[in-house]
Amino acid sequence: MSTQQQMSREESIERLKIDFTETEKVILSRRSVRLYKKEQVPEFMVRRILEAGRFAPSAGNSQPWKFVVVRDPQVIEGITKTVVNLCVLFRRMTDYTRPGYGWMKPSVKFFTRLRYNDLHPVPFGAVSLIAQGKLSVWHGAPTVILIFKDVRGVSNPDLDCGIAGQNMVLAAHSMGLGTCWVGFARPAFQYIAKWRNYFGIEFPFKFASSLAVGWPKGKPDGMVARQTHAVDWYESGQRRTIY
Amino acid sequence: MGKMTFLEKIRIPTYNDPKQVTPGEVDFDNEKCTGCGICVEVCAANSLMMEDKKARMKPPVENQCIFCGCCAAICPAGAVSMKSPFKCTLFFKPIDHGEPKPPRL
Repeated sequence: MSTQQQMSREESIERLKIDFTETEKVILSRRSVRLYKKEQVPEFMVRRILEAGRFAPSAGNSQPWKFVVVRDPQVIEGITKTVVNLCVLFRRMTDYTRPGYGWMKPSVKFFTRLRYNDLHPVPFGAVSLIAQGKLSVWHGAPTVILIFKDVRGVSNPDLDCGIAGQNMVLAAHSMGLGTCWVGFARPAFQYIAKWRNYFGIEFPFKFASSLAVGWPKGKPDGMVARQTHAVDWYESGQRRTIY
Repeated sequence: MGKMTFLEKIRIPTYNDPKQVTPGEVDFDNEKCTGCGICVEVCAANSLMMEDKKARMKPPVENQCIFCGCCAAICPAGAVSMKSPFKCTLFFKPIDHGEPKPPRL
């Protein structure tokens, strides 16, 4: 039983006013880690992370996920090469910000309106960086957890994979590990049969996202400033907006 | 609930126009910066560089800062402060975002 439960409710509320709980501290100080040590993560820790994922809530308890752990550097390197090649190709087709390619702008903007998630300015810039070798896919992490969704899941399998993934991320950070969400590997599974075959991925599984896991270099976790968001609050028949 | 105009819903901003897509900005305290360079290594957007053994943001064209805060969190000297977030206009305009603040009790 946790200390929170042993205390009276008043006592534990008083504590909350002074400090964040341990869980909140893990959530608030989790930063995406993009600089890892080469040293491998002990197997039992990865198993524990997977356990955190296994106990994630999902729609209708359908658990529409499949986790694949990859710890072979040459396989991680191989997928990375595929992603880099695809980014080079993608950049050739879309990057009008390169000098001399301004003529591509109208058509790229048209496709951006149709595929606004993929062609959002952030991944647009990241594709360029990956194609130029300035940004790595899994940032040299020794362990990669691929998350595949079972498309037959109840309601929204992508969301359930996200919930399971975040459980794993928070578990990893509470153990002193670093993680980073990496969705950039998707085209390697979407377009390249080689990698689907290598991992035996076929219907009903589709790539949802992946996690880089490893020992961080330096101390990357910490609380930082981030945008506040307007929250509409309906109570007593009135609406107010808080930030 | 913030709204988008019809024109905003259909018009995509030009990514290399700094008026339409504004990268995030962080500030470096030169007094505190020891020049270790770890912020440059962790930057997700490859937007930082070393100049005269001090960390700096790259010039506007190369700066693609997404305001993730990894540099501020990892800096052992506490020399990085987060100034203004990544912002787009038109189709990608932020809706109902407020000032950046650290976690509040």
